[in-house]
Amino acid sequence: MAAPMELLCWGGDWDLPSVHTESLIVLAYAKFAGAKLTVKLVDWTWRTVTATIPQLHYEGSTVTEPTQILNFLRQNRFNADYELSAKQGADTMAYIALLEEKLQPALLHTFWVDAENYANLTRPWFASHSPFPLNFFVPGRQASVALSRILLTKAEAPLHSVAEVEGKIYSEAKECLNLLSHRLGSSHFFFGNTPTSLDAFVFGYLAPLHKASLPSAQLQQHLKQLHNLCQFCTNILKNYFSEAASGSPPTSQDAVDANLQKLTQLVNKESNLIEKMDDNLRSSPQHRPSRPHKPEAKPSSLASDRNMTPA
Amino acid sequence: MSLAAEAFVSQIAAAEPWPENAMLYQPLREDQILLSDCASSLAVQAYLRMLGLPVRVHCRANAEYMSPSGKVPFIHVGNQVVSELGPIVQFTRAKGHSLSDGLDDVQRAEMKAYMELVNNMLLTAELYIQWCDENTAAEITRPRYSSPYSWPLNHILAYQKQWEVRRKMNAIGWAGKSLEQVYEDVSQCCQALSQRLGTQPFFFNKQPTELDALVFGHLFTILTTRLTTDELSEKVKSYSNLLSFCRRIEQTYFESQDRDSQSGASDYSKGPSLM
Repeated sequence: MAAPMELLCWGGDWDLPSVHTESLIVLAYAKFAGAKLTVKLVDWTWRTVTATIPQLHYEGSTVTEPTQILNFLRQNRFNADYELSAKQGADTMAYIALLEEKLQPALLHTFWVDAENYANLTRPWFASHSPFPLNFFVPGRQASVALSRILLTKAEAPLHSVAEVEGKIYSEAKECLNLLSHRLGSSHFFFGNTPTSLDAFVFGYLAPLHKASLPSAQLQQHLKQLHNLCQFCTNILKNYFSEAASGSPPTSQDAVDANLQKLTQLVNKESNLIEKMDDNLRSSPQHRPSRPHKPEAKPSSLASDRNMTPA
Repeated sequence: MSLAAEAFVSQIAAAEPWPENAMLYQPLREDQILLSDCASSLAVQAYLRMLGLPVRVHCRANAEYMSPSGKVPFIHVGNQVVSELGPIVQFTRAKGHSLSDGLDDVQRAEMKAYMELVNNMLLTAELYIQWCDENTAAEITRPRYSSPYSWPLNHILAYQKQWEVRRKMNAIGWAGKSLEQVYEDVSQCCQALSQRLGTQPFFFNKQPTELDALVFGHLFTILTTRLTTDELSEKVKSYSNLLSFCRRIEQTYFESQDRDSQSGASDYSKGPSLM
């Protein structure tokens, strides 16, 4: 191929290759399909900041929107869904629709509408990645786009107010996370052992929620209790985006990875135990080890370790 | 509805059995109802019939304004009013009637995913064709939508609704799509549904679920509604298993039940038949 494909996307932070869901979807899919992209980050120039992100340039043509870009990559022989059956292809469409309808509104709310998260995390990040006069403008515009999207799709006309829909979108998003966790079960990816476009989408939606240090984090707390989804994000980050694993996905490393996983699980369990003991100590008045009742179920308690999925 | 109110409703709902005089409200069938509303209403009717819960259909010109969420259809059961399929499914479950209790967790996830696919693609496409295709909007949608009202209210309400739908299309990124792209999306969605259904009688084999009711409501309405062109129904017609699926549900839950009960036209509310 003559010219390399160039992807314009928001930059990375919080141990992620990009903090932006749509950019992450494309980056992950490109890794899964083995497509070499030259990544160009949104920098301090007007041209990049005013563009629709992510944006793929190839031989003079420009493609935007994750679904369009994925289609474009497929047309250029970079297909991660090659081995899927027709029914699995249908499932992919259905689950992507589920993500868009049920999870996306709550994610937009968490990052762009929730005042605490927006002021302490999202606005500073996006402002610091925009040039001087635009840094006052870019985050605010994105926030208002997010808010209007939530209101127009979820709010009940004619009373468009965000307080009314908050409860609804968060309970729908939590249900959606539970459904995804059930669907993933104990497998590595959604369709067996190789990642496909559905994995790219789920990763794109979940990874920022998994990694960001959000001051107000009810959805994040819920995700943290669904261990297989967290593990799913961690695995993809480790196998496809860490320095050592860049390039082709490791195959011989699988055994090592499995051992590592077991080890991390053990360590996690251990630390959960310690935390729980700590909690008990703290919640008892005179540091007596008696436990009358726990004030509230901590997300990291042992009870939620395995089968219990929160409502 | 707030969460507290929802919990309260389901508490009360559980206490009372399903009454004989439950009512479903929708816009006027002949002159007013639009494709998308008709599809949603039919989905709810099919769902209730699958459960064997009796409901009488009432057509009201102001159904949209009577509904608690501003969306039709809604049901009036005892002293409660619930609108749209999702909340109605929750409501009947609280009363102990459910179609999806036999499914395991993975199947339930799959069912929800396909239901969102129908909402995300078919319903949005119906709204797009109704309100954003200027031919359909001028010839069918605006005249029908505003038929109960006199000048100048008819124009005001119709354009207000159109503006609202177009804002929504803007927000979800459909505003830039061409009519051809929307038909292509419908085709893709039908293909996915057709693949998922395969040769089974229902989406989860022998037993119908709310997914079957929702798919039936939309596909049947698309197949039996005349628009400015046939293109939309042609897209559905190319999938033979979806056609026989619609026919099967129509026969099982609409024709035979109506014959059994010998009830008049007021219960038979589905409109034209597929035959």
